[in-house]
Amino acid sequence: MKNELILDKNNLSYWLRQIRKNRELIGPLMNDGNDIVFKSVDRIHELVLDCPASLPSPKEFIFPQYEPMLRMRQASNVKRQEITDLSDETKRVIFGVRSCDISALGLLDKFYLEGHKDPYYAERRRNTLFISIVCNDPAPTCFCIGLGTGPYLEKGFDIQITDLGDRYFVQIGSPEGAKTVKAMSFLFRRPQKTDYEDQYEVFLSSKARFHKRINLKGIRQMILEEKVKDDFWQWVAGRCFECGGCVYDCPLCTCFTVTDREYPYGIERIRLWDACMFKGFTRMAGGVLPNEAMVKRTKRWYYHKLIHYPEKLGGFGCVGCGRCTITCPGKIDMASIATKLKGLAISEEEK
Amino acid sequence: MNKILTVCPYCGCGCGLYLHVENGKIVGVSPSRSHPVNRGSLCVKGWNAYEFVAHPDRLKYPMIRHNGELKRSTWNEALTLVAARLDEIKRKHGPDSIGILSSAKCTNEENYLMMKFARAVLGTNNIDHCARLCHSSTVGGLATAFGSGAMTNSISEITDAKVLFVIGSNTTEQHPIIGMHMLEAVDRGATLIVADPRRTKIAEFAHIHLRQKSGTDVALLMGIMNSIVNEGLVDTDFVRRRTENFDTFEEVLRRYSPDVVEGITGVKANDIRRVARIYAMEKRSMLFYAMGITQHITGVDNVRACANLVMLTGHIGLPMSGLNPLRGQNNVQGACDMGGLPNVYSGYQTVTDPRARKKFEMAWRRKLPERPGLTLMDMMEKAYDGSLKAMYIMGENPLISDPDLNHVKEALERLEFLVVQDIFPNETSEYADVILPASSYAEKDGTFTNTERRVQLLRKAIEPIGESKPDWEIICELSNSMGYEMNYRGTYEIMEEIALLTPSYGGILHHRLQEGFGLQWPCHDINHSGTPYLHRKKFARGLGTFITVDFVPPDEPPDSEYPFMLTTGRIYFRYHTATMCRRTAVLEREEPESFVEINPDDAERLGIKNRSMVKVSSRRGEIELKAYVTNRTPEGIVFIPFHFREAAANILTNPATDPAAKIPEYKVCAVRIESLAKPKKVRRIPSVDLEALRIT
Ligand code: SF4
Ligand code: SF4
Ligand code: SF4
Repeated sequence: MKNELILDKNNLSYWLRQIRKNRELIGPLMNDGNDIVFKSVDRIHELVLDCPASLPSPKEFIFPQYEPMLRMRQASNVKRQEITDLSDETKRVIFGVRSCDISALGLLDKFYLEGHKDPYYAERRRNTLFISIVCNDPAPTCFCIGLGTGPYLEKGFDIQITDLGDRYFVQIGSPEGAKTVKAMSFLFRRPQKTDYEDQYEVFLSSKARFHKRINLKGIRQMILEEKVKDDFWQWVAGRCFECGGCVYDCPLCTCFTVTDREYPYGIERIRLWDACMFKGFTRMAGGVLPNEAMVKRTKRWYYHKLIHYPEKLGGFGCVGCGRCTITCPGKIDMASIATKLKGLAISEEEK
Repeated sequence: MNKILTVCPYCGCGCGLYLHVENGKIVGVSPSRSHPVNRGSLCVKGWNAYEFVAHPDRLKYPMIRHNGELKRSTWNEALTLVAARLDEIKRKHGPDSIGILSSAKCTNEENYLMMKFARAVLGTNNIDHCARLCHSSTVGGLATAFGSGAMTNSISEITDAKVLFVIGSNTTEQHPIIGMHMLEAVDRGATLIVADPRRTKIAEFAHIHLRQKSGTDVALLMGIMNSIVNEGLVDTDFVRRRTENFDTFEEVLRRYSPDVVEGITGVKANDIRRVARIYAMEKRSMLFYAMGITQHITGVDNVRACANLVMLTGHIGLPMSGLNPLRGQNNVQGACDMGGLPNVYSGYQTVTDPRARKKFEMAWRRKLPERPGLTLMDMMEKAYDGSLKAMYIMGENPLISDPDLNHVKEALERLEFLVVQDIFPNETSEYADVILPASSYAEKDGTFTNTERRVQLLRKAIEPIGESKPDWEIICELSNSMGYEMNYRGTYEIMEEIALLTPSYGGILHHRLQEGFGLQWPCHDINHSGTPYLHRKKFARGLGTFITVDFVPPDEPPDSEYPFMLTTGRIYFRYHTATMCRRTAVLEREEPESFVEINPDDAERLGIKNRSMVKVSSRRGEIELKAYVTNRTPEGIVFIPFHFREAAANILTNPATDPAAKIPEYKVCAVRIESLAKPKKVRRIPSVDLEALRIT
């Protein structure tokens, strides 16, 4: 079976219904307040596919905001702790995620699975299938195009679909993806020349619709050459509200904290999203706060994403999803800062 | 996974957020993108508003005190006991021997029922809540000046304003999302003026920062108005057509020339003139204030001075132009609207007005008391002297939040009977005779009203934890066992009753709140689409009134014995008495302990080092805590957040109150500071080659 297929739009809900028999189906739905959020899908026909990137990113399904890890209990007549593993084994399919988020998964995998392997992440990752959709109409906040992380992908996805009006162009990128399609192969047909042409047309027109072109390589260079002065970082820090939103929402941020909770039935160890934007994140024994000055924290976030990430994991710690632009109350998100720095660089040259 | 749209349970911004629910448990939060207030953002408290809900400390079953110890009981036992004891005390000592504290954390429906319970079932007007401690001066002050005491504009208007004048509000920390809108307005070119003795974060963004001495706000505002008059910047048309009583006010105003005011406030006369010009000359001028204005013995006068300023310049009754008290708690606006106050029914219909009383008597089929009841401060006083016998406290923690805690503690001890209804055990519940476990915001329906008067639907995300019940159900059951039928199928039925009896909520019904993001009162009928800004064309009371105010110094100025001025307030990572946020891992970790902010010059004089322990004492008590040496606080003033039980600032504060609003003067009292650091033992440290130790 070829890795490229065509699915008639009429058949989409049937296909999803079949997949749902074995997996929890998560997809973008309109909620009471005109927001589009990713949640369990009850009525498949209500899926909203022409939506912008969701808040927070789909990382919440493999690295959740609140995750019980294990439970410890004093067994009644034995002198030792009984430990139960609580890692989540639910099989899920996340439908309708965007290319940027799939690109982010590649780096998250490196972070969580290479070297020290995080079992909770591994378990969820193994059980989750992603069906991503090419963006026909990128949001004004998106800038994946400058990073090669969207609006469509060449590889790295499980299944990628492109909306061609009355049909979807389906690409298979992983064995698990292939299995899901093969099980219902009668729903699909081979693409023809016009299908390829139409797909390429979508790619082209999508690329032309981006509002933002951001060159993070240039910004990285500016930082490395120490062209970004301290008073700039001071200005950034002064605007931070310490909400943590940028970290919580970002598909590539991995901060967490671990805490124990004593219930009558035993002690539960949970891990929760945390953020390096908080001074207590690096609190040391004795209460010393090495990063008490806000400027150290905001600056570190940018250094981590632009300098350390590429060095360690081979890619920027940013895929251009634009979520921090939406969520940052201080407007000191990746795109705004990059734009600002570029402006500074230009005015510097003109001097 | 399901995601349920609901409202943040922390501050009065009223941000829309989603609760993520999986297998009946709450596993996360995310912001609503389309919500007109938060637009995809949340502050750190909102982002972490999910964790405390299932905390093991939650009260899960009712408890009754037996021989001095609280023991688990059934609902039936607990409610029967409460009903019997309240009945008995009412019969023996009269209904006014019972006091009720309603809650700014509970829904409108619950506050309405609580006040109905107090008035119709118990027969007393002794009902109050923590609004007494934050904005009672606003409710009173603005009601007389304009006829309605609430934010006149909407939050979403802020970004389009041209001048923002913020007085006595630490907006970026206490109303972070409103702070976000202000910052955006500044980015768009608005001028920001901040008046605050402390250099708060919002002050860092200000074009002009006035650092008046604590407790001199009336003088400062009078000075500004004086120069507006002198420079001919008064909107005379507005004053003539829309207001009254200006002439009497002007007489007093003449005395407050900027130079005189400089002497009182320490603010340069020229700065006063500059601010007057900037504020008066731009039409899109919004004035904001919070606790820095209200929590003084002159709280009502401060509010009146603000009202006079907006009337003088005609900056009211338009979008992006008005007077905006920032309400603190998520539903403190609603708790006031619902009549959780000793002198009014819902919608501020006064208990002394026979027509209003008649209406409620007919609807509730009970004779209602005529005299206004006791305020929170008076209840504590009466409990102390023994004439108040029982209290029923719902969702409040006076043992952290009230001034002069040692006194309050004794007052509660002297009560014959104390019922506490809450989600977590707290300092107050330690004194309870009966504890009733309530459900949290995630486990019930209802409505919250945010600071911009937006009534929003709270949606149930999970089933109540343990045996806890929503507050409204508890009140209904208690009322039933006291022989007064309260039966509602759901909170929507309570809202129907509210709409029926409350003109400003007339058109607010649950099914209308289902879609979109709520309605802003006044909303008189079912076809009314809400009111984004107040006092259009005319004031709620007809003409606006200039009420004459005069500067009065704080009740307890510093002296040789207690040479510092203490001002109290809140910090960003904590919330009020900390029952919720200290059970949230991230929030608790950020600010685990209390501190006192002190100016470097003062610290040096007293030999106090950063992070060293100090003792702060006032005429009422003393606490020990760490010093935080910072320029944020000016010389002569120290600041302590009031959240921490270990070093409760309110042990020190002065219970002197504003004569009209009975709000205590949290913002000024006299204290003394002593260093507790032991003289360091000199220990020889062997010299180390630091270079050799460096790890590369
Ligand atoms: S840094 Fe911002 S734009 Fe980049 S991936 Fe993270 S949230 Fe998206
Ligand atoms: S989202 Fe913006 S304001 Fe919030 S922590 Fe991140 S940088 Fe700071
Ligand atoms: S600003 Fe207030 S309402 Fe909004 S998230 Fe923060 S605490 Fe909640």
